[in-house]
Amino acid sequence: MLAVIGHVARKETRQILRDRRTFVLILVMPILLTFLFGKALETGELRQIPSVILNQDGSPESHAIVTAFSNHDEVRIQGEVGTLREAQALLAQGKIKAAIVIPQGFMKQIVAGEEAQLQLLLDGTDNNSAPIVEGVAQRVIQRYNAERAVRGLWARGVRPDRGRRLIQPVYVQTEIRYNPGLRYLSYVMPGVIGLTLQLLTVMLMAVSITRERERGTLDQLLASPITRSELILGKLLPYLGISLLNVVTILFVADRWFNVPVRGRLPLLLLLCALFVLTSLATGLLISAVSRSQFQAIQIAVFYILPVFMLSGAYAPVEAIPETIRPISYLFPLLYFCRAVRAVTLRGADLFLVWKDLAILAGFVLVLLYWAVLSFKKRVA
Amino acid sequence: MAQAIETTNLTRRFGNVTAVAGLNLTVRTGEIFGFLGPNGAGKTTTIRMLCGLLLPTEGGARVAGLDVATEAEAVKRLVGYMPQRFSLYGDLTVEENLDFFAGVYRLPGPVRRRRVTETLQRVGLLERRGDLTDHLSGGLKQRLALACALVHSPAILFLDEPTAGADPPSRQRMWDLLYEAAAEGKTILVTTHYVEEAERCQTIGFMHRGRFIAAGSPEQCKANLAEDLLEVDAAPVMEAAALARGLEGVVGVSVYGQGLRVFAKPTAHLRHHLQEVLVARGITVKAIRAVPPTLEDVFMSLTRGTPEGRGDR
Repeated sequence: MLAVIGHVARKETRQILRDRRTFVLILVMPILLTFLFGKALETGELRQIPSVILNQDGSPESHAIVTAFSNHDEVRIQGEVGTLREAQALLAQGKIKAAIVIPQGFMKQIVAGEEAQLQLLLDGTDNNSAPIVEGVAQRVIQRYNAERAVRGLWARGVRPDRGRRLIQPVYVQTEIRYNPGLRYLSYVMPGVIGLTLQLLTVMLMAVSITRERERGTLDQLLASPITRSELILGKLLPYLGISLLNVVTILFVADRWFNVPVRGRLPLLLLLCALFVLTSLATGLLISAVSRSQFQAIQIAVFYILPVFMLSGAYAPVEAIPETIRPISYLFPLLYFCRAVRAVTLRGADLFLVWKDLAILAGFVLVLLYWAVLSFKKRVA
Repeated sequence: MAQAIETTNLTRRFGNVTAVAGLNLTVRTGEIFGFLGPNGAGKTTTIRMLCGLLLPTEGGARVAGLDVATEAEAVKRLVGYMPQRFSLYGDLTVEENLDFFAGVYRLPGPVRRRRVTETLQRVGLLERRGDLTDHLSGGLKQRLALACALVHSPAILFLDEPTAGADPPSRQRMWDLLYEAAAEGKTILVTTHYVEEAERCQTIGFMHRGRFIAAGSPEQCKANLAEDLLEVDAAPVMEAAALARGLEGVVGVSVYGQGLRVFAKPTAHLRHHLQEVLVARGITVKAIRAVPPTLEDVFMSLTRGTPEGRGDR
């Protein structure tokens, strides 16, 4: 059994090494993908939302408001426009996402003690930008209101520090544990690593048996006394080796380039990655075992990989997926991988804290491999 | 002596198509059995069932005493199979291919290395052992495929068109190797389209539409031909052929170069009748003689009148 697995593994390794172009691709693609995906998601937090000011008031108070806006990194004040029509046109053309309008009589109303308004024109097609600009406006105005009130109280003889406490008696004290900068990248990196590893392994394995079927070499193998598990495990081993090499390079990129902490917990991370890679390899083998041609195998692989992107909680918490379809998410090993890797890299979890996810991944490996062996028929159609 | 291969009512259907229809075949241990028949006659399907690659729909077969349906894996250990289509790895070297299959057939280390070298030597590929298989010529690829079928010293060899498309010297070399294997006591079942190769077999079986329509030694097959054969040397040959086809009792006419081969139901006076008709129409008849049939004549006669057959009607 072991000897035959060894023969198959050696043969596969030779073929992989001999196909130089594919081999280089296998080694370089994961690094490139991790880098690209990581770079794309690094700026997942929106900043510098293009905006304009329409200052119809021109008072000192309105200038103070404009200055307050430009101190916020989330918006970028591109300039001032003269009319509302101009602001609307820019919004319609998609050149800006927000227009901040300070209406005429703004200061007069404040001084007179009437209700003054700051108006926002927001582009609702971009549902990410709009609430951010709105939040900035709320903070600017809240601060403005508070300071004005403090000044008013001071004029009536209340000292500023006491005045502040009167206006805002309660403060929120926040302490963020584990991901102090609330970096989206730190959250999403395990997903990027998992998707990259999965993409390559599923594709490579999916064509491994069908390629032999298409070239006719499977006929000679099927006529031999090789067993199904010998063939499946023999094909799996070399790709497991390559994938582990990929794991190391991907973790290196994540650590050095994107500053996602992996050091110190490397053994546990490697174990998680190895188990996850095995689930992907087994999935690919299963696809290969049931497909008749390489084309069909690739089709099935794509149909598998696409839902994983959307449903496995790689980009957002799985709780964000509606309950009606959430059960599907639990069918993807990537979900458990992301959960465990996040726990390890962000919360510093140890083996004791992630053993459940490890066990689930191991279960996936066994079931998928067994399924692949059973699906592979040692007879021709 | 035990029979190497024995099938009873062996049948295989693919959907509505019956590829093999109740085949009864017996191959004696140590003989070379030639499997003939037009494309699509069911030869490859039969071989695949005998190798344990395909389950029979009905009936059964025993190879080396083992049931191909229930003991397929045991059968695989005892037989060597050379598929019709080249099925080795083009991106491996000659030796790597052979070594891989020797390993898959579970030959232990030292035995494996010895057998690989011996087999390479035997098929004359020892000097090419380091070459990529993709770089071999068609004839050498066929010899490597034979080596892979031989490397585990099987008792029975199944060879599906082992010389297809090969040049005459390559075919000669292949047959030398087959005789050598037969001399060692191996049983060989070989399919071919070449009639002169069939003449080299001890027993031949004509397969047509999934069943045997004739079987026996080449001599028996020729003797059993239920038609008389006349060789006619006449000019112009095409007109002579057209006239011959119209005669009563004539079942087939083939044109060969300057002559005709006329197949007819046994009659006493056809020869004279034919001569009269041809001469009456102004055709020069140089000779008409009764000749013994060749295997090719038998082949033509047996497959006549079928779309797949190379019959002459």
